[in-house]
Amino acid sequence: MSAMKEDVLFQVQDDDLFLTDEDTVESRKYLIFVVDDLRIGLDAEYVVEILNGYTVTYLPMMPDYIRGIFNMRGQIIPMMDIRLRLGKAPLEEGNLLVVVNYNNTHLGILVDAVELMLDIPNELIMPIPAQSAQKLVSGMCSLPDGSGTMLVLDCDQLLHE
Amino acid sequence: MSSNDILDMYIYETNTLLEQLENIVLDAEKENTFSQDNVTEIFRIMHTIKGSSAMMEFDTLAQVSHRIEDLFFIIRENTMEVVSEENRPALFDLMLHSVDYFREEMEKVEAEQPLNKDVDSFLANINTLIAKIKGEEPPAAAAPAPPPAAEPAPPPAEAAPQADEGNPDFPYQLRVFFDDGCGMENLRAYMLVTSIQGFCAESDFLYEPADVEQDASTAEQIIDNGFLLEFKNPEDRESAIPTVRTSGSVRSYQPHDYVPAPPQAVMPEPAETTPPPPSAVKTAKPAPASAPAAANNPNNAQHQKESLISVNLSKLDALSAIVGEIVITESMVTSSPDLKGLHLDAFSKSARQLRKLTDELQDVSMSLRMIPVSNTFQKMNRIVRDMCKKLNKQVKLTLVGENTEVDKTIVDSIGDPIMHMVRNSMDHGIEENVQDRINAGKDPVGEILLSAQDTGSEVIIQISDDGGGVNDEAVLAKAIRNGIASPDVEYSHKEILNFLMAPGFSTNAQVTEFSGRGVGMDVVKSGVESLGGSVTITSEQGQGMTTIMRIPLTMAIMDGMEVSVGDSIFTIPINNVRSSLKITEKDILHDSVNGEMVKLMDSYYPVIRAREFYNLPGGADNVEDGILMWLESGDISYCLFVDELLGEHQIVVKPLPTYVNNFDVKSYGITGCSILGDGSISIILDAKGLYAAAHIM
Repeated sequence: MSAMKEDVLFQVQDDDLFLTDEDTVESRKYLIFVVDDLRIGLDAEYVVEILNGYTVTYLPMMPDYIRGIFNMRGQIIPMMDIRLRLGKAPLEEGNLLVVVNYNNTHLGILVDAVELMLDIPNELIMPIPAQSAQKLVSGMCSLPDGSGTMLVLDCDQLLHE
Repeated sequence: MSSNDILDMYIYETNTLLEQLENIVLDAEKENTFSQDNVTEIFRIMHTIKGSSAMMEFDTLAQVSHRIEDLFFIIRENTMEVVSEENRPALFDLMLHSVDYFREEMEKVEAEQPLNKDVDSFLANINTLIAKIKGEEPPAAAAPAPPPAAEPAPPPAEAAPQADEGNPDFPYQLRVFFDDGCGMENLRAYMLVTSIQGFCAESDFLYEPADVEQDASTAEQIIDNGFLLEFKNPEDRESAIPTVRTSGSVRSYQPHDYVPAPPQAVMPEPAETTPPPPSAVKTAKPAPASAPAAANNPNNAQHQKESLISVNLSKLDALSAIVGEIVITESMVTSSPDLKGLHLDAFSKSARQLRKLTDELQDVSMSLRMIPVSNTFQKMNRIVRDMCKKLNKQVKLTLVGENTEVDKTIVDSIGDPIMHMVRNSMDHGIEENVQDRINAGKDPVGEILLSAQDTGSEVIIQISDDGGGVNDEAVLAKAIRNGIASPDVEYSHKEILNFLMAPGFSTNAQVTEFSGRGVGMDVVKSGVESLGGSVTITSEQGQGMTTIMRIPLTMAIMDGMEVSVGDSIFTIPINNVRSSLKITEKDILHDSVNGEMVKLMDSYYPVIRAREFYNLPGGADNVEDGILMWLESGDISYCLFVDELLGEHQIVVKPLPTYVNNFDVKSYGITGCSILGDGSISIILDAKGLYAAAHIM
């Protein structure tokens, strides 16, 4: 199983080298993190790094889900509590940040835990059923190891709504 | 290099050249002549624009620059004397027009809009002028005459190939060079002629030297100068090229037009073996063919330029950001709590050295962003010149301190305010009637003085004219009419001058091309204030008006007062802070709408509590536990209640993250942030924005 997985990984990297057009890439890498009882997948292309421990500076006049701004090696980045963004109760002791760079907009996302990086073939990603349309989610898929369902985070919506 | 980079480079280069050109023309106009150096320089500029435009396939631009190059070729060969006095104004106008034309087209190129295809009338203008100049050309100058610096070795009559050699009826030339030492060059040339006669009527082309068939001595001329074919029609030349190429022993050939141009067509041989284009050959020593024509006319400006490089501003921004980080990190390391109580002589010594170096590094990186204001100032020359013509006034512009250096972003944004003030002075300041000036005992020629001065922390830009000055009554009447002033109040001279900068005030009843578009000095004022500066006007009736702009040298570094509210740290620009004071509960007065006020120096000022206003999680509520900051910005003045005064610091201003800007925090007086010595962030407040927001809520 693991040998096969490595094989696939290698192939994807090859693809990345030569085929950058989205349509031709058959699978993408996702970083899966946990928020409350949800597992959310974030396109690994947008992930800058994962931070643990930081000091946030409160920035007034922002929506409550923006905890403030923090200093990542001289770069000022806003921090979003994704629990509050999804309308869930905030975590008291959360300090794990996934820093994303989506079209040159940087954002630190406060998450409960980071699980793993996974390759997911594009065809496995299903559209979300219309009647249960989720906030900030552009698709979903069952994880190959059968451990559950992953929701695909819609960065565009996350940043612009 | 992507095509976009090439395009950027092209736009940048062309704009720089246009600026240079405009300055040359404006200076020359004052002298009413172009010096030979000017002419050479303009020729070089046009040549470069032509070449690069053709490379970028902007054909219209290439055409126009080509004609102008032609024009200046004539002038270069015959000196400025060829242009008679009455034609000179037309020449200057034409040159300024072409600068405008190129600028417009450059803007289109930048905006990716299609270029103006119809350049015929413009070309016709140039051609008319060329014809006029040529019409007065003495016949001797028109005939092929060797330039003074001709090669001494060959017979003088047929010296180095001359650019003005040729026949206007046969403008399409082809110069052919044969292989070195192939011998019998004259006969080879004759064979070439015969084969060309195969498809081109004898009357449609000429060749030089003409008697190649009989005279063997022409071989030597051909070795030196090549064999020149001159065609009546460009098509004939095109068809001749394959013939020339296939003929034996042809080393290289160059097509060019009668009025010289660099080789534009294919060169079959490597460039090194190609002799310089005839137009470029002014001296006996051939220049390397790869060099542009200008290489033969070296001038100082070019040498200077080689020691400069242009750098993308974003790289400089990145550099100053990193240097800012280094400075902070350095102080974090050297004052680390881990070192407390230790005696580390060697460490302290190195730390001091490091501090010195980082300070120097910071100075250098800041100086990189500084550029002289001269470009902005020079642009005013053109405005004054154009307005003088339009308004029929005689005004001279005096520039002082053009070399004052200011942060690039500031230089970019002071252009408009300065231009506005200069136009204002031209339009409203300088008297309509020269007689008025003479009667007032002034020089009939008006003067506008534009000066820049660096005081170390700020730059002072002063625009003054010696015109009629501000008429207090007229301004007041207008202010009352516009509802800015109240008719019952007595205003001081200074207050009346301040009306000039009130929004929507323009004393000129008529909207002119140059000023009075309904936006007035308030734009100047707000523009300068957005840079953190201030504007003051002084005027003496009959003596003219002076506008003084004070602008901080750089926006990237600022002196600020740090205050804390709960855990948050805010920085207030030092020039907004009037004073700080401790008060007690009983000093606070309440107004009818639950607002708070405090009486200071016989006036009442509103109090804004930072904690309440920003909904901060922590901070003092009790007036005795905190401190009042008395803030001022322009005409507003109020007090901000905070917890504690942390002290004055020089900070590196960082913009807020783009995502944060979506939430419009700027309108709440939050303009940026800064990283403090311990790595934490302070939020920069704008006194004016905060006040405005507090009063809307």
